[in-house]
Amino acid sequence: MNSQSELRKLTYLTFRNIKLYFKDKMTFLVSLITPIILLILFILFLKSTYEDSILSIVESFNLDQNLIDAFTGGWLFSSVLATSCITVAFCSGMMVIDKINKANVDFLVSPVKKSTLQISYVLANLFSTLIIAFSLLVIGMIYLACVGFYITFVDFLLIVFSIVITSLFGTILANIIWTFTRTQGVVSGVCTLVSALYGFICGAYIPINTMGEGVQGFVSLLPGTYATILFRQGFLNGVLDEMGKTLPAEMTTGIADGFDVNMSFFGYDVSTLGLILVISISTIVLLGIFLLINNLKKRQKI
Amino acid sequence: MNHIIEIKNLKKYFGDTRAVDNISFSVEEGDLFAFLGLNGAGKSTTINILVGVLKRDSGECFVNNLSVDDISKILPSIGIVFQSSVLDKNLSVYDNLRYRAMLYGMDKKEFEKNLKYFVDKLDLQPILKKQLDKLSGGQKRKVDIVRALLHKPKILILDEPTTGLDPKTRKLVWDMINEFRKNTNLTVLLTTHYMEEASIADDVVIIDGGKIVAQGSPLTLKNKFASDYIKAYKYDKKVLEILDKANIPYKKDKKHLEIKFKNTDDAKNFLVKNNTLFKDIEILKGSMDDVFLAVTGKDLKENV
Repeated sequence: MNSQSELRKLTYLTFRNIKLYFKDKMTFLVSLITPIILLILFILFLKSTYEDSILSIVESFNLDQNLIDAFTGGWLFSSVLATSCITVAFCSGMMVIDKINKANVDFLVSPVKKSTLQISYVLANLFSTLIIAFSLLVIGMIYLACVGFYITFVDFLLIVFSIVITSLFGTILANIIWTFTRTQGVVSGVCTLVSALYGFICGAYIPINTMGEGVQGFVSLLPGTYATILFRQGFLNGVLDEMGKTLPAEMTTGIADGFDVNMSFFGYDVSTLGLILVISISTIVLLGIFLLINNLKKRQKI
Repeated sequence: MNHIIEIKNLKKYFGDTRAVDNISFSVEEGDLFAFLGLNGAGKSTTINILVGVLKRDSGECFVNNLSVDDISKILPSIGIVFQSSVLDKNLSVYDNLRYRAMLYGMDKKEFEKNLKYFVDKLDLQPILKKQLDKLSGGQKRKVDIVRALLHKPKILILDEPTTGLDPKTRKLVWDMINEFRKNTNLTVLLTTHYMEEASIADDVVIIDGGKIVAQGSPLTLKNKFASDYIKAYKYDKKVLEILDKANIPYKKDKKHLEIKFKNTDDAKNFLVKNNTLFKDIEILKGSMDDVFLAVTGKDLKENV
């Protein structure tokens, strides 16, 4: 088999996996509606708390309410998007469904490399997650346009990069777990666990600063946290710059620190490039682990 | 004769269970080969080793003179129909076949050409755009077989293809397979526990507890292991006295008398000697059920 033929097989398998995932329209709608509900709940129950926090910091300054709305809106939406890229990645995989339906056996007896099949699951999983994440981004942009829009083109590119890298990170992590999973029960359990936990342990649902010191240390060891901070920067850099026109620099830095727009690793500030490197290297390491596991499993088979 | 499949001293143990225990057999090109046994006898394990899904403990397996260690070269020449469909229930028949065809390196043009042959032959047009889970059992099996044959394999492996199907659908499946065998030199390796399916094979291997207990053509096996019967509907009562005297086993009811003989010669000789005593008879060859019972001591009908 030449590489061109294997690439074509990869393309078709990826299309097949994506088509199967979106065949059930309800799957797409539920995947999209869940983060929207989360956003609505955030706006209803948390927005005013965060607004009050900012107002308590800037009370002596006449800060435009529109900027406060844009900041809290951007913060909440970045939380939803950072979490969704992971949770959707975990809940949109086809690998275990194929194992349950025995379609994997059909592929095992077809002349397709196991690595091609495994990569097709990752790619399809990634594309499905990206489709939902970018649909969410459109909704988020509309929401921010209503409450206050300060995102620059560079920040937008940072958001796009954050979506892609976080989705890829989540997809590979999920597929490593799915490699050892054969039942829908385990999939549902893992999805529930990830949906419930991830937002907290990656600093998406509550600012890291409000956590205990030990938890802060633990959270700063997780690559997901760095992805969350990237989202924060993409959504909030512009509005912080705008606030800087009214507020002193120390105050905007204080807000940025307090609301996780800046990242600190055991007291050391991490730059945007540092954040990008941590999440990118973590993703590459995960990819290496995924390929290694599948290679070892393949050797066991024949 | 060309051995398209050759298995030598194959062993596969799962812990203490000897799933396949030192079996050897070969399949001739173009033959319909039946692999007969109860559930858990070792049929599917052997098939799974043959197609690279399972690793063997020892022994050799060759397909088309290639060792199964080189499975990637073997798989393009094999088509498999599993006991239950492994196609995507939520996709259309067309999409299912297209995505599977591409795994064999077919381009769209080649796929369409091959598909057209089956669409015309099997009247698939009305179901081509239908979702797989909207099809009847028979239609699904049709699609499974087309999926297995679409890349024009040399060997078709049928792993209990008619289990759970009604008699009408079973007939449809066999009509299809026989049609393709007629037109191509397709070798069919069938695993089954249906005797009537095994009895039409060119060669049969009976496997029990992972070991081969009998091997040969259905006729050879019947001659070797099954009894022959004379069924008499109109006969002279003297026959019963002769049978009792000669200690020949028989069963008698209101309608007929059934006399059991070790082989065809014994039955023929008995008839020649006593032909005036019979007016309406039929001679029955022992069935594959009898063969199975004789070689395994198990009744297939009771165990399936």
